[in-house]
Amino acid sequence: VVMIRRRLGGPGSSPPTCRSKCGKCTPCKPVHVPIQPGLSMPLEYYPEAWRCKCRNKLFMP
Amino acid sequence: VLSSDEGATLLEMKKSFRDVDNVLYDWTDSPSSDYCVWRGVTCDNVTFNVIALDMRGNHLSGQIPDEIGDCSSLKSLDLSFNELYGDIPFSVSKLKQLEHLILKNNQLIGPIPSTLSQIPNLKLLDLAQNKLSGEIPRLIYWNEVLQYLGLRGNNLVGTLSPDMCQLTGLWYFDVRNNSLIGSIPQNIGNCTAFQVLDLSYNQLTGEIPFNIGFLQVATLSLQGNQLSGQIPSVIGLMQALAVLDLSCNMLSGPIPPILGNLTYTEKLELNDNQLTGPIPPELGKLTDLFDLNVANNLLDGPIPYNVSSCTNLNSLNVHGNKLNGTIPPAFERLESMTYLNLSSNNLRGPIPIELSRIGNLDTVDISNNRISGSIPSSLGDLEHLLKLNLSKNNLVGFIPAEFGNLRSVMDIDLSNNHLSGPIPQELGQLQNLFLLRVESNNLSGDVISLINCLSLTVLNVSYNNLAGNIPTGNNFSRFSPDSFIGNSGICGYWVGSPCHVSHPT
Repeated sequence: VVMIRRRLGGPGSSPPTCRSKCGKCTPCKPVHVPIQPGLSMPLEYYPEAWRCKCRNKLFMP
Repeated sequence: VLSSDEGATLLEMKKSFRDVDNVLYDWTDSPSSDYCVWRGVTCDNVTFNVIALDMRGNHLSGQIPDEIGDCSSLKSLDLSFNELYGDIPFSVSKLKQLEHLILKNNQLIGPIPSTLSQIPNLKLLDLAQNKLSGEIPRLIYWNEVLQYLGLRGNNLVGTLSPDMCQLTGLWYFDVRNNSLIGSIPQNIGNCTAFQVLDLSYNQLTGEIPFNIGFLQVATLSLQGNQLSGQIPSVIGLMQALAVLDLSCNMLSGPIPPILGNLTYTEKLELNDNQLTGPIPPELGKLTDLFDLNVANNLLDGPIPYNVSSCTNLNSLNVHGNKLNGTIPPAFERLESMTYLNLSSNNLRGPIPIELSRIGNLDTVDISNNRISGSIPSSLGDLEHLLKLNLSKNNLVGFIPAEFGNLRSVMDIDLSNNHLSGPIPQELGQLQNLFLLRVESNNLSGDVISLINCLSLTVLNVSYNNLAGNIPTGNNFSRFSPDSFIGNSGICGYWVGSPCHVSHPT
């Protein structure tokens, strides 16, 4: 359903809004976090994903 | 009774592992031994069934035992970072409670068992960095609960199936560094749950499909394939992108100016393609950009001064294009920059003194251009500089004595210019200097001061107008005559040097 709505809205994406994604914790802001897929040489950058951050806690957007 | 069975199962499994460090020493069958406190074992508080086995990084070798399938309550199995070989046993598929299966960084061979699709609650499947072969079983893709699929660094073959977008709960899809062929599925935009899509270092061909613009990913890694055609402009609408890596493909056509809309992108890697046209000034809008690499393309036109608005830029690489115009003095705004590579283009004009104000620079490579004028003495202010390459330009004037202030510098290459005057005495202060190349200039004076550079290992002063004796102390004799040839007035220690024979004993 989400997919179909996006298709009607056209392509493109934006960072998560993080609205009510951190439970009761505020403020809840989108941040980039590196994802470490395991040791590999040569060590290149890690992939990054969005998470919602409140104080020291991260939440799935 | 059930509990003691589980202990016996674990002991059977122990027999299959070769445990060189004896990490499983407390896995014993003594009556007083409670398997729930054995190393790496976690039991359910109520049923005392084994629910987790964590044996990562224990130097275990041998094979994964078939008995693993008898630990029927396992929710998490982590055997990563060991030296396990052999196949992934089919019995793993009997673990109906399993949520996390982590076998990465071993020596596992054979195919990925398609029966893994029979584990109903599998959320995390990480088989990265093994030697798995064969195709990715399509059945794996028909899983709505799988969140993480890590297959990087194996020998997987075949094509990517359009079925991959049936992974409606998946946020991490990583098949980097395998041998996948074929094109990116046209329906890739349906993978709307993906946050990381890493297809890099395979042998994918064809064009990047327009539908990629429907993805919501933060990381899009397509580098190291054989993708052709143009960069689709629709990528400029993907504002969730933090990392966009299209490097090392066969992409042609221009860099779409709309990429300037990627407000939150930190890494933009477009290097090693066949891109043409200018660097769009719109890239100056990328205020979060940390790393911009457009090296080794066919780009022309000037380096837009707008790039100086990317004030978070740490690394800028435009090496190996056909860029012309001058080095923008506005670069002084790039205060965070540590790496600047403008080499092998057609850049003209002077080295702007403003570069000396980018105090964090550790690498400056402007070599192989048409840069003229003299070397700004203020470059000596770059106290963090490790590598300076100004070779193959039209530089004139003296080597600044201020280079003696480059306390950390390891490599200085000023070769193939029109520099004159002496090698400044102050260079003798550079205790970390490993490489000094000044060949093919018009330098005069002697090389005596360099004897104090105790780390100097690569030296080339050939084809100048240097004179005087070549010292022999402090290991200076490690440098062969080739380092000094083409200096008519220089006097070598070696037999055959002109002045050597002119002073008979």
